[in-house]
Amino acid sequence: MIRFGPMDWIWLATYLILMTGCGFIFYRLGKRSEADFFLAGRGLPWWIPGMSVYATHTATDTPMWVSGVIYKYGLRGLWYTFFSAWCAVAAFVSARIFRRSLAYSQAEWQSLRYSGLGGELLRGWMSGWGSFLNMFILGWVSMAMGKLCHYLFGWDNWVGLIIPSLIVAIYVLSAGYWGVVMADFQQGIIAFYIIVFASIWGIRVAGGPEGIVARLNALGEGWRLNPFKFSGFFSGDFPLAWFLTMIFIAVLGGFGMGTSIDWYAEAQRIQSSRTVRDAAYSIWWGTALTLTRNAFWAAAIIAFFVLYPNITEPSQYEMAWYRIAFEHIPAGMLGFLFAGIIAIHFSTISTHLNLGAVYLTRDIYHHYINPEASERKLVMAGRAATALLLLGSFIYGLMMEEITRWLIFALWIMGAGMWLPNILQVIWWRFNSWGYLSAWIANLGFSWLVVWILPAFGVIPELPDYLQFWALMVLTALVYIPVTLLTPPENKLHLAKYYAMTRPIGWWRPIKQEALRLGLIREEVKP
Amino acid sequence: MKERKFLGLRRDWKPEEAESWTREDWLAIVISPLAYALLMIGLALLLFLRMDGLIIFLAGVGATILLHLIIDPKLKAISSEYEKKQKEYLRRLERVVRWREAE
Repeated sequence: MIRFGPMDWIWLATYLILMTGCGFIFYRLGKRSEADFFLAGRGLPWWIPGMSVYATHTATDTPMWVSGVIYKYGLRGLWYTFFSAWCAVAAFVSARIFRRSLAYSQAEWQSLRYSGLGGELLRGWMSGWGSFLNMFILGWVSMAMGKLCHYLFGWDNWVGLIIPSLIVAIYVLSAGYWGVVMADFQQGIIAFYIIVFASIWGIRVAGGPEGIVARLNALGEGWRLNPFKFSGFFSGDFPLAWFLTMIFIAVLGGFGMGTSIDWYAEAQRIQSSRTVRDAAYSIWWGTALTLTRNAFWAAAIIAFFVLYPNITEPSQYEMAWYRIAFEHIPAGMLGFLFAGIIAIHFSTISTHLNLGAVYLTRDIYHHYINPEASERKLVMAGRAATALLLLGSFIYGLMMEEITRWLIFALWIMGAGMWLPNILQVIWWRFNSWGYLSAWIANLGFSWLVVWILPAFGVIPELPDYLQFWALMVLTALVYIPVTLLTPPENKLHLAKYYAMTRPIGWWRPIKQEALRLGLIREEVKP
Repeated sequence: MKERKFLGLRRDWKPEEAESWTREDWLAIVISPLAYALLMIGLALLLFLRMDGLIIFLAGVGATILLHLIIDPKLKAISSEYEKKQKEYLRRLERVVRWREAE
């Protein structure tokens, strides 16, 4: 438990006033239209959504997760956080394509890419899944905040789960995405500063850089500073095969849309940028900052290891960064550190409240229920959707312990067998909505079989996660490739319009020719 | 007029030329993840005052600069056309909103 002094309360109060102030300052901008409430009018320079990308990627549970992998694997654990490198390629490929589509959400993009009943089914499915997923993430992250407040102040879990989210709701409900992104900008700066400060302080407390290296060597743990210390090709706790699979998934995933769960939040930042260039730089620099932050965290967690080298219980060493920060921060800075943690939490909550509301408003209310709705009504619907998500997240958060296991499985499903279809839909004109839908269904079935059922009956051994990935990728492809080729391609006119709008990368020659024939694009000038 | 080049790569693009996917895009796709990896690993090692960390980190900074030198002119050309349309859209939206508020 920690105890706040007057200075700490001043830090915290100042920060809360700054954040909720965004709701009042940007209230008038947020209520202008649906595009303002959800995309800040698509007019932001890259550094505002870029900082938002960083702030959103930094949640209350992120330091716990990073602490877990760094404490266990040393600097090798940094590669677990390198999954976000999908943005390295996405910044220059899928961000460019998505920004040009002008879709508000990934669900809307599905109906631009696919036509007819299949396109509508996908839009409906994606919007329902998107709303649910955001509610789930809100519950998950809020629960992590509840646990942290319990650790710090001894409060009941529900207090930390509900109160901070209610404060966030003030500026999300009033100013929509304008409030989210402007608050994120401040939160990103505060969070980055406090992470750097607390991490460097932690290194100092553990004996400084040289002291830590000497102590690691004395403990016989010097390998922890080698990020390429593999345990074998397939064997051991850190096989090279895992590393290569991770690099493959992360880097090539940037060619697709939805290959990472973070894509959906990035899609909103991409679309709120004022140009394609701003969209590209927003996610590139936001992710660069995220990876830089991971390096600071990693160094501080190694410092924690030197101080406490014998912790075996994951639930204890997962608190490594929080412990080294809170237990050693200088007097008067505790409130500032906590404000930084609140900043981390607020940015994630606000993003998912507004993002979940996009699906409910744009893809369900506007598209299916009231296509003629005025801008005023749409903004009202956006606010109602935000309130609904908030309420749902409280319910999820309170019952999270029981359902977490199932939902992690659901997320894994999204990541494994759907990885390649998410790329194919961007780069291959012939991939159709029936192929994509069948991939979802097949992946659900195969995931159950490969991850749980077959190992449980001893038919196959329990596979490590990287082998599960390859197995699910191949098995799912055995379903969606034949389905795609046996069903008719998408309507050519629809695809030609999509091509003219987005200029996708990959195998699109027949569609390009159709777009040229229809006069939708001009013959390419050879550079 | 003489074409501006950097390491044999184009620096002048017209919007309609920049639409197509060229070797500049592919170079960016290759350099970009490399820059991320070098920055992350380099900084982590540098925090322990390791010389290899400094070298890796500086290589990451170099890769980042190179990446932007290669891709920025193209992104600017793609965006310039779009920005004009965007400004017009925002101007129109502003007019409509003011008119509604005055009602």
